[in-house]
Amino acid sequence: MANYFNTLPLRAQLAELGKCRFMHLDEFSDGVEALRGKKMVVIGCGAQGLNQGLNLRDSGLDVSYALRDEAIAQQRQSWKNATENGFTVGTYEELLPTADVVLNLTPDKQHTNVVETIMPMMKHGACLSYSHGFNIVEEGMQIRDDITVIMVAPKCPGSEVRAEYVRGFGVPTLIAVHEDNDPNGEGLALAKAYAVGTGGHKAGVLMSSFIAEVKSDLMGEQTILCGMLQTGSLLCFDKMVDEGTDPSYASKLIQYGWETITEALKYGGVTNMMDRLSNPAKIRAFELSEELKDIMRDLYNKHQDDIMTGAFSSGMMADWADDDAKLLGWRADTAETAFEKTPAGDMEIAEQEYFDNGILMVAMVKAGVELAFETMTAAGIIAESAYYESLHETPLIANTIARKKLYEMNATISDTAEYGCYLYNHACVPLLADFMTGITSDVIGKGLDAADNGVDNARLIEVNEAIRSHPVEAIGSVLRGHMADMKRIV
Amino acid sequence: MIHLDALSVDFDERFQLLDIDWTLRPGEHWLIAGANGSGKSALAAVLAGDGDILSGSIEGVPKRIALVSYERQAELIAAERRKDDADILDVISEGTPVAEIIEDGCQDLNLARSLVDTLGLRPLMSRAFRKLSTGETRKVMLIRALTSRPDLLVLDEPFDGLDHDSLVWLQGHLRTLAETTPMVIVLNRFDECPDFVTHVAYVDDGRLPLCVERADEQAYAELYQLLHLKTSDLEIPAADPAAKLPALDPATPLVQLTGATVRYTDNTVFDGLDWTIEPNQSWQLSGPNGSGKTCLLQLITGDHPQCYVNDINVFGYQRGTGESIWEIKQFIGYVSTALQWEYTVSTSLRNVIISGFHDSIGLYTKSTDTEKAIANEWLALLGMSDRADEPFNRLSFGDQRLVLIARAMVKHPPLLILDEPCLGLDDMNRQLVLALVERICLGSETSVLYVNHREQDRVAGIDNHLTLTGNTPA
Repeated sequence: MANYFNTLPLRAQLAELGKCRFMHLDEFSDGVEALRGKKMVVIGCGAQGLNQGLNLRDSGLDVSYALRDEAIAQQRQSWKNATENGFTVGTYEELLPTADVVLNLTPDKQHTNVVETIMPMMKHGACLSYSHGFNIVEEGMQIRDDITVIMVAPKCPGSEVRAEYVRGFGVPTLIAVHEDNDPNGEGLALAKAYAVGTGGHKAGVLMSSFIAEVKSDLMGEQTILCGMLQTGSLLCFDKMVDEGTDPSYASKLIQYGWETITEALKYGGVTNMMDRLSNPAKIRAFELSEELKDIMRDLYNKHQDDIMTGAFSSGMMADWADDDAKLLGWRADTAETAFEKTPAGDMEIAEQEYFDNGILMVAMVKAGVELAFETMTAAGIIAESAYYESLHETPLIANTIARKKLYEMNATISDTAEYGCYLYNHACVPLLADFMTGITSDVIGKGLDAADNGVDNARLIEVNEAIRSHPVEAIGSVLRGHMADMKRIV
Repeated sequence: MIHLDALSVDFDERFQLLDIDWTLRPGEHWLIAGANGSGKSALAAVLAGDGDILSGSIEGVPKRIALVSYERQAELIAAERRKDDADILDVISEGTPVAEIIEDGCQDLNLARSLVDTLGLRPLMSRAFRKLSTGETRKVMLIRALTSRPDLLVLDEPFDGLDHDSLVWLQGHLRTLAETTPMVIVLNRFDECPDFVTHVAYVDDGRLPLCVERADEQAYAELYQLLHLKTSDLEIPAADPAAKLPALDPATPLVQLTGATVRYTDNTVFDGLDWTIEPNQSWQLSGPNGSGKTCLLQLITGDHPQCYVNDINVFGYQRGTGESIWEIKQFIGYVSTALQWEYTVSTSLRNVIISGFHDSIGLYTKSTDTEKAIANEWLALLGMSDRADEPFNRLSFGDQRLVLIARAMVKHPPLLILDEPCLGLDDMNRQLVLALVERICLGSETSVLYVNHREQDRVAGIDNHLTLTGNTPA
């Protein structure tokens, strides 16, 4: 199979990358009609598979689960999940030949195998749905001409997909139609109905393309979302310990610090995060982030280039073929780092203290978000996609570090994201070595000397203007505005 | 001797205890009483070190204090839920097993083992803590406190949510324990005051105006009276004339379950249950902890996934034939402790009540002037008009319950389900809730399905009873 993106002419590549539009609620007035009475069969009963299925059924749709023969025979967890929730469970042979829509909710790595197995069993004119486009775009999987191929990707963990639906709401969702596989022109109607069935239309739906989803998703997760947080955790911890900070304090400041400071992104973007700092601290964080951006810009460009050419995915697929030798080795290395092995202390750290003593961490988040956004948009990815795959998802990933550090983050993100995260980290740690020698405890660990809180007016105005006028802030305020309109929890 | 001298304490800027003078001498056991939101739980929590001291002092507090309260219980559940939310892609978290929760901080494993057996938790030891029912969770909290060998035992509503047998056992156990361990107990039901209690502290509006010795019969009786004060006329606000529900066929039962069964791989909750609720018929459902009361309700509301593999007809819909869950929920008003724990969305009291028109947790659509006006009438009825714009999550537990009952009733649903609505409420508010439920039963078209396991909480107008016996130990 050849990389699908690379088979397209530049014109088509750019057109696909540029697709991402926030859809209006009135575009969903047909509700779930396009799927009513159709037989939906889910493959993969993990957190996404199970929770999406629960929502779709509660929206009046016909959902069942196809499991491998051995999962049924051995009554594995997936079988229990589906059965205890009152779903019909059957083998591929039993369920797929009569399925109208097949929901492939297995991990990326299994896609080729799963799709090759199920395709011959699917009936003529059926629909195959993905929640991630890697298999189509990077592996170049060819789907039978008569089959409609769509993507519906809720941008939240499976447990949230369910919890928000039960509340009467939903989670932001990305939908796409694979243009090469839309024989009856019904792909969009099916994707919209599916989004309504999971409640996504209430929280906001982005109409994108397989290509835009893959290329932006890979870039975001490798750089700011996972890579930057991993590199930042390791560097900040070692620096604090060198500077004489109590290791258990340093461990706690980082473990919970990412979550606390990125929470501020949710409400008002980078501007709000920076506004949580005192004026002198804000100016320091701004200057550090400018310096970081200069140092890291080439690295971000390299990641984006490797994603665009397919070099990244072919490297990773070679590791799949080698039984994940590299991935598993890197995972083991991460477990042995000083940050990972030092438990967080039980001292109290007030919410504001995470900002005051974590100025460098704030600078790293700002630099990473802005660089990832700039790099993606420069590569032709539309600002809406770039926003979601940088700023929007950072708090979600930071949340996993707060649970159980890097182990938790890497265990719960996809293997694809984890592989890319390590690649980034290996390049970024040495890249920042010189920069880190100039860092002292006033920007990480202890906070600025509070003797004088004064700053130069003109400089403050200049810095504020630079923060507020970054393009990620412009698109961010528009998209957060849409979300608030839809949510209106007054 | 524990001594509080002119002590003022702040709780997250949402509540303050003011100018408390209080002395607890050796050999005394205290009951803290007062209305909902008066500060009973806060005063108990102060002994366990909660809150920020603004002024005054507290001295002589022993080192090891065990506190059992709804707040602690909610914190533990919230902590477990956060663990669950940690998965980003595709991992199902099972949560911490009960055994681990109990062993954490346990000083007496033998006692823990015998308590587990006595309270019937043995079959649940490997189950995830957050999958327990409300009553089962409470029992786990009690075991943790009782096995920690405290120097002072502080129990905030220890009897609430326990089935009859467990309650009798706990009262006996506390009586024995009182010989060696000083206790402070918060109770909403004055009539459940254990006989070893020697003193009562009456809390009102964050202050401690009265300390009464149990032996002083006159003062004790007056205090009882004070707590029984009832509000006057109740007027139930009308439904929204603009939001008409689809008409139901008066000849069709509201609910018809035929051979209902809920079964997991390791146990059967109930099996072959038939139950019909006719229009304008009210029911009381009772049974011990773990007998499946909540499961049964969830089959009706559509919140239990096995409703799709049962023969259930609700409001004319045969479940599993393409109906959406929102078509069912529009006919139901629902209140439970679990709903209260789920209602973590930060929004105002008024919006919580308005959300009842939309069956949502949180408000996601623009509300009409009529909806606002009706919500305001309910707030007036509850005596909360001046708090309409306060955040819901800053209310006391009991006040939250009252608001959720208003939310459930605001659309005048054909079926109102009250799952242990008095759990956690004080005497005065319990009376208010029961009077409200009676008024609804007698004076409106709404059928009430009332769940509890307390004989004394019977409601006039509810003359049908269903009792679950339970296949799992209670």
